[in-house]
Amino acid sequence: MVMELEERQAWVALASVEGVGGATLTRLVGQFSGARGVLEAAGSGRFARLASAGERGGRLAAQVIAGIEAVARDPRPALAAVERLGLWTLTPMDAGYPARFDVLGVLPAVLYGWGDPAALEPAVAVAIVGTRRPTPLGRALAARLARHLVGRSALIVSGLAIGIDGAAHAATLEAGGRTVAIIGASHAQPGPRAHRALVAAIVERGGAVVSEMAPGKALAKGMFPRRNRLLAALGDAVLVVEAPALSGAINTAHHALELGRPLFVAPGRPGDPTTAGCLRLLRETPARTLVGLSELDEDLDALGIGERHVVGAGATRNAVSTGLGEVERAVAGVIARAPGSLESIVARTDLAPAAVASAVTLLQMRGLVRLVDGALLPMGPLLDGV
Amino acid sequence: MLATLVTAVTSGLNGALVRVEVDVSPGLPVCHIVGLPDAALSEARERVRAAIRNAGFVYPASRITVNLAPADRRKHGAAYDLAIAVGILVASEQIRIGGGAWALLGELSLDGTVRPVAGVLPMVATLARAGHRRVAVPAANVPEARLVDGVEVVALEGLDDAARLVAGPRGRRALAAVRRPSIGVSGPSRRALGDGSTDGDGREVTLVAGVDPVDLAEVHGQPFARWALEIALAGGHNLLMVGPPGAGKTLLARAIPGLLPPLDEAEALEVAVIASVAGLLGDGRRLARQRPFRAPHHTASYAALVGGGPRLLPGEVTMAHRGTLFLDELAEFDRGVLDALRQPLEEGSVVISRAAGQVRYPARIQLVAAMNPCRCGYFGDPERACRCAAGEPERYVRRVSGPLLDRLDLRVGLLRVRPRELLSGPPPEASALVAARVAVGRQRSRTRNGGRLNAELSGAEILRAAQPDAAARTRLADLAEVGHLSARSVHRLLRVARTIADLDGAEGVDEAAVLAAAGLGDPGADRLGSAFAA
Repeated sequence: MVMELEERQAWVALASVEGVGGATLTRLVGQFSGARGVLEAAGSGRFARLASAGERGGRLAAQVIAGIEAVARDPRPALAAVERLGLWTLTPMDAGYPARFDVLGVLPAVLYGWGDPAALEPAVAVAIVGTRRPTPLGRALAARLARHLVGRSALIVSGLAIGIDGAAHAATLEAGGRTVAIIGASHAQPGPRAHRALVAAIVERGGAVVSEMAPGKALAKGMFPRRNRLLAALGDAVLVVEAPALSGAINTAHHALELGRPLFVAPGRPGDPTTAGCLRLLRETPARTLVGLSELDEDLDALGIGERHVVGAGATRNAVSTGLGEVERAVAGVIARAPGSLESIVARTDLAPAAVASAVTLLQMRGLVRLVDGALLPMGPLLDGV
Repeated sequence: MLATLVTAVTSGLNGALVRVEVDVSPGLPVCHIVGLPDAALSEARERVRAAIRNAGFVYPASRITVNLAPADRRKHGAAYDLAIAVGILVASEQIRIGGGAWALLGELSLDGTVRPVAGVLPMVATLARAGHRRVAVPAANVPEARLVDGVEVVALEGLDDAARLVAGPRGRRALAAVRRPSIGVSGPSRRALGDGSTDGDGREVTLVAGVDPVDLAEVHGQPFARWALEIALAGGHNLLMVGPPGAGKTLLARAIPGLLPPLDEAEALEVAVIASVAGLLGDGRRLARQRPFRAPHHTASYAALVGGGPRLLPGEVTMAHRGTLFLDELAEFDRGVLDALRQPLEEGSVVISRAAGQVRYPARIQLVAAMNPCRCGYFGDPERACRCAAGEPERYVRRVSGPLLDRLDLRVGLLRVRPRELLSGPPPEASALVAARVAVGRQRSRTRNGGRLNAELSGAEILRAAQPDAAARTRLADLAEVGHLSARSVHRLLRVARTIADLDGAEGVDEAAVLAAAGLGDPGADRLGSAFAA
């Protein structure tokens, strides 16, 4: 059985065992000269003794050994699970394995993905992360950053979570860019249910949805923090928009600092728990402050991350204003400055509710404004300001 | 000897004639009540015995059989006490029927006084239809009984009044001969029928007790919700308000009774009949003209909201007939209870079927609902953090089922009011001004639609009534395409647009009205689903 497998297949099969991660796999492969070697040994019964004799404290748990032996007896279920979900796989021995991951001490043994694996080797990549429960302002900022970075031809990397992640992915697609989602769980549970359509769109528009978890692996504590190091590694820079003190985004930010990735943090409001983590990062780490888009451009230029493409900005600006009446322009301006619910827009203008309601409807029909979680957010060209 | 008296029973909002036959014959002293009585009625024998003795009559030591005919109809309540007691007096030959045929309604207390009962109005109406035009009712029930045309109504204070009435001048002698000296029955009556038209504060007391509406001048901020409320009231559209605690949702709703035009004569009578059956009639003497406003608590059961129970009593939807049903904390209501609102919202009436029978109650209501955006109430708040766990706000709003949401034409969000706004800014518009505009809007709608409000129009009718101009029609087509609107959503959008045009005094629906209507259906669209989505 094992003899029929290629080394790559053996590798994928071995990685599917519960409890076998990048570190274990690398050690075993070294010890048994190849993944096939591991499986052959496991099939012949020599494995348990040899594996538990391993030096460097690498004693394998009994159920991990049992799992490896089961895969050695019949690797087909493990490989079929990958096939069933329509996943491609990348192993460190493949040419397409993202070179940006080289900074990681332990490489993910196998990357599983939907979409275009080539998306993992972009010329420029920026990660945008933040809280699952952002304010409308934060959501709009994430969208604005994503849109702006698409203008620099950057791939936008994020974690597919509700909130800032989702806003960054969606705005990237909206602006015609490519985006990669690195998910913490396996593809059997690809992110929140509300993002199913987003997953399809990411894949369709030349992006990828990637995980280091084999399809069979159950959700476990620590999966998401582990994923965060991949987010930081894949981005040439990491941007944090709104993050509470204890959050995945802060964890990602620390990974970015450890890996030497430039870290940009949007400052928040003192006393506001939604941005408490951001403020702490700015105070306690060498993170850069995200002041504005032009300052971000300057910093990225200095770091040599991507290039500015200023074409079309003026054109879109005109496209926004043409065909809009005075009231619509005023309402669009209010939404672009500070997104919020319809009633908050009414409260912030001197216009009659009827006028605001019809203006908002018109802006929505034009795709310049969209409702997300009850808040009207600027979309498309409106993100650049009116 | 046998005595037969006439009384009535309610069934839904109708009544039915009941004959009380009493036979007193020699035998062991027992009293049997037959003819499907309920528990309250079976206990009548105890009340009647005590009342007869304490009113100064003799309770016969004989075999007493009371039959309530027709025997197959279930009877409930204590309204037959009086007829049974008088029947026993007649059958035991303590009085003779000499005052003509009086229909008797009333519950007896042990001392022989007569207590008011529920449902007098429909019962008297039934008696009148059956040709019984002389009716004696408890004094407190006289005002409602007098609402029935062509009926002679006599007020009763005690059993002796009833006996005197039935005996008439010819039977008086018999009465006087038999009756023992009274032991203080005729004290001052507890419900003196004085003028009774005003209460201590000089306000008019009406038959159905009204609520004291909040004046809109007391509601600060919320320009958007106020605008939506005005449209909802002018067109009869159902309204959902979503906002954090303290935004003023409940205050706005409580202003509604002061914003709606009064009931007309026929509507007021309908409301009074319902209140009579529900036992809600108060001390007043005039028909209430304020539209009902019912605000059941969110723990309300199915029977409380829709109606039912062993006596098939009307529920809150029926008590809110011709008025407003306000459901505060909509998401906290039991889902099954809420879904039962679909029939009344669609048909304007509700059918209750139980083993005890089937009744149809009117329930033409305007539904106004309010809810928090999430359990803690601060989801989406620009300044205050929501304390709900991830995903919980979504689950919270999903507790309101799609089909019910579908019937809430207008959905508006409200913001927390900042203390600053309470103290500064121009004083809010008073209810009287808004009520005047609402009345004009409703009048326009009723004149055009043959007496109906825009919300009551069918799809075909609203297409005719809206008269959208060319630009509005184009916009509507765009909206339908962009939002993937179903035909039903387009109709609903047009109904709201029609009301906006009515409030503006416009002949037809223009582009601005269509766009504004779409804006009104949309807030929180991605959370609650747009009112104008497919």
